[in-house]
Amino acid sequence: MEKVLMINYQKCTGCRLCELVCSVMHDGVSNPARSRIKVMKWEAEGLYVPMSCQQCEDAPCMNVCPVKAISRDEDLGFVMVDYDICIGCRSCVAVCPFGAMNYNSIDKKVFKCDLCGGDPQCVRFCEVNAIEYVDAERLSIYKRKDAAERLSVAQKEAGALQAAM
Amino acid sequence: MALNRKIAYIDLSTGEIEIKPIPLEVRKKFLGGRGLDAYLLYNNTEQGCDPLGPGNTLMISGGILTATCASATARTHVMAKSPLTGLLGSANMGGFFAPEMAWAGFHHLVIKGKAEKPVYIWIHNGEIEIRDATNLWGKTTTETQWAIREELGDDEIKSAVIGPAGENLVRFANVMTGIKNSAGRTGMGCVMGSKNLKAVAARGTMDIKIAHPVDALEYNKRFIDQITSAKVNQTQGTLGTPFIWGATNSWGGIRTRNFQYNQCENADDIEPERIDEICEETMGPYHMTGCFGCQVHCRAQYKIPSGPYAGKYDEGPEYTSQGAFGGEPDCKNAVTVLTGNHLVDQYGMDNLETGSIISWAMELYELGIITSKDTDGLDLKFGNDEALLEMITRICYRDGWLADTLADGGIPASEKIGKDSFSYLIQVKGMSNLHSDERATPALALNIATGSRGSDHLRSRPAIDLYHLPEEVLRKIYSNPVPYDGPLSSEHTSYDGKPWMVFWQENCYMGVDCLGICKYHTTFLGATLPNFEDWTKVLYYNTGLEMTPKEIWDVAERCYNIERLFNLREGLQREDLKKGDMLNHRYFDEPCRRGAIDVIGATIDRKKFKKMIDEYYGHHGWDENGVPTPETLKRLGLDQEPSHLL
Amino acid sequence: MAIDTEKMSGAESLRKTRTYGKVRCHNPSCMERLQPPAGADHIKCPTCGMEYRIFWVNPNLPRIRGPVWDVNRKLAEAKLANTNKSKSKKTAKKGGE
Repeated sequence: MEKVLMINYQKCTGCRLCELVCSVMHDGVSNPARSRIKVMKWEAEGLYVPMSCQQCEDAPCMNVCPVKAISRDEDLGFVMVDYDICIGCRSCVAVCPFGAMNYNSIDKKVFKCDLCGGDPQCVRFCEVNAIEYVDAERLSIYKRKDAAERLSVAQKEAGALQAAM
Repeated sequence: MALNRKIAYIDLSTGEIEIKPIPLEVRKKFLGGRGLDAYLLYNNTEQGCDPLGPGNTLMISGGILTATCASATARTHVMAKSPLTGLLGSANMGGFFAPEMAWAGFHHLVIKGKAEKPVYIWIHNGEIEIRDATNLWGKTTTETQWAIREELGDDEIKSAVIGPAGENLVRFANVMTGIKNSAGRTGMGCVMGSKNLKAVAARGTMDIKIAHPVDALEYNKRFIDQITSAKVNQTQGTLGTPFIWGATNSWGGIRTRNFQYNQCENADDIEPERIDEICEETMGPYHMTGCFGCQVHCRAQYKIPSGPYAGKYDEGPEYTSQGAFGGEPDCKNAVTVLTGNHLVDQYGMDNLETGSIISWAMELYELGIITSKDTDGLDLKFGNDEALLEMITRICYRDGWLADTLADGGIPASEKIGKDSFSYLIQVKGMSNLHSDERATPALALNIATGSRGSDHLRSRPAIDLYHLPEEVLRKIYSNPVPYDGPLSSEHTSYDGKPWMVFWQENCYMGVDCLGICKYHTTFLGATLPNFEDWTKVLYYNTGLEMTPKEIWDVAERCYNIERLFNLREGLQREDLKKGDMLNHRYFDEPCRRGAIDVIGATIDRKKFKKMIDEYYGHHGWDENGVPTPETLKRLGLDQEPSHLL
Repeated sequence: MAIDTEKMSGAESLRKTRTYGKVRCHNPSCMERLQPPAGADHIKCPTCGMEYRIFWVNPNLPRIRGPVWDVNRKLAEAKLANTNKSKSKKTAKKGGE
């Protein structure tokens, strides 16, 4: 079954451990510039949003690639780059609506999330569960349940307020 | 790799910059961070140098593990001769600065001289540039950081900066990064101000090769699990460091009204649970944040809910701000604590020293030693929240006679105020104590008396002494990695074995400070957290450096002795109330009046205290005056200092 | 030196000594382990009589939020009165060494 990263940015503490373990896992080095996942930060207001590849169904990076170096992994469903074919034109970087296709100026290669072959380290190390690895088709169920919970809490509060008045 | 991060010598007077590798033999002797800084301080300053003159040398560093695949290695260390104490100046902060400096290629900066006009240092992928900071002068700590990002066009730049307090040479100005991470103690921001150095900005995208990446990753998981599964860190991850207030205030260990009481009564509004409610109300259910790579997330986020600063965003308040702006001045309102915290964060001023010195002034005011003429009409009595907040701002800008006097630090202020003001000043070696009251806890009293930077909990506090752990557990912790079969007592009111616990904790904290790991990840607040044995693995997997637990212990001891040598060189004498390992008389003479039943009446026993110091010196291999013996120096390889190895 | 990955460190081996669901009385000579009933908001120490307010970090992790002020204040004052009585002849030194 196809699984994807589910990011709940509200839970993110902004520690960037995901960036660290991503670069260690893939490149054996510590360097957030090599991380497939990046936490975007608005420090002046305490807002942290982890951004990674959405593994789009109709993936712009795949469509735009002039040499067809980008394809989908059949088992895990993630979008991947074949470096034997890639010419490093960075069209995919330009077209990605999430900024999730990266370019590494040290190796001069584009790179992106490959779900660590099914055991994403960002998920494994995130103790606050801001990033989870879930079945793609259950993604909306989780969101729905979350929203429903918020609604019911709000409703209870409203009810209590009314009763008090 | 981590071991090839470099050291840069920067002379602000001449603009010369020299970049050097750090030899492996130096690494093995001092590792990095605070330990290597201490070596550099001893080797790069002249005896008796003016802390605010060009001859003082400022070190800014990361630990040897900073930015490797090791948990919570985000600490930045700052060291120089202290303008507050005239002795060792040393402060440590979390955040994101040191890792960024490491990715930019550097672990250590040695900054000498004095710039003619305001400057900042810009470090970027192996290169260092001194840039004009005229436009930044006068800005607050966060304004400065955002302005540097804008000037250089990169939102990911991390900077260590000073605020107006550092510029105004407030002797306890700090160095800050992010919203609230502060290298707070001993006035390191004042040293930066004296050098016209507004900030050090870093941005790096250079690889740090991990020696054994697969093992490092797996071991990090295990290390993190050990840390996050501890009750203390679960509590801390929910309530932040203010959680300590609960137990401490409950049994009677919170200094209140300067030093008149040992408990802040009926202070429900500043209890951590209440502060957490405010954080949740203003920032939502997920309001905890953390430093680089740390899963403890002990820092809360909040907006000030009301008052003149309503709506301002900040982080914390830490336990220290609760005490500094809540307990000591006896201001029992959360909004006051949150506002005070915000002000010192913006001004770049040590919260502990600020709160402590104002509370001292409040006691002097109530005693009539200073009057409303000295305060320019301000009614500086305990519990006057507005006066407290007003004084914070006045001290930062040295506004008025009293504020200007207090901004010079406790001892100089007491000399200026005169009468018997000094006898009310709760300090050791010229640095004010944090807001804890150690009269019922001999181990903690010994810790603050002997701390190498003055009265402080982060040099050697055996906090787990308060947990009443079974003796066999204590023995397991404290007789490793060097054997110890002397006395150890589970009773925290006892004097037995406490000198050994303090000695052990000194080496433990020096160890994490050299490695660059946060103290919440070692035997500080939690008895089951990693220490020497665990560090050998994390060091090996990440850097390839093979050391035994005993070898890391030896490094720590060596570095602590260098700090001692520095202090002795600058005038430390055992019983000197201003520069020695000595406590204010109130610890011995004034019994506790509040707290748990058996805390009532507690004081520190002079004779037993003296004996503890003797014993503590003995463990160190120091003579009865606290001077390392020639044999000790030889054993630690310090008999040739200053040895100028790099 | 071979790093033994499998071997537990001292800190790791102490993990089994962690206790859950309990708090300790804060009175130094007492330090009784108290187990508050789930969700309880305060607890009294059966040994020394001190009373505490309880906060739950999570359902398995209670902590002492603070004392029950009036109860503990009374206990403290009684002790203080006793201490003062026995020391009434002695006066504390003030103002300098």
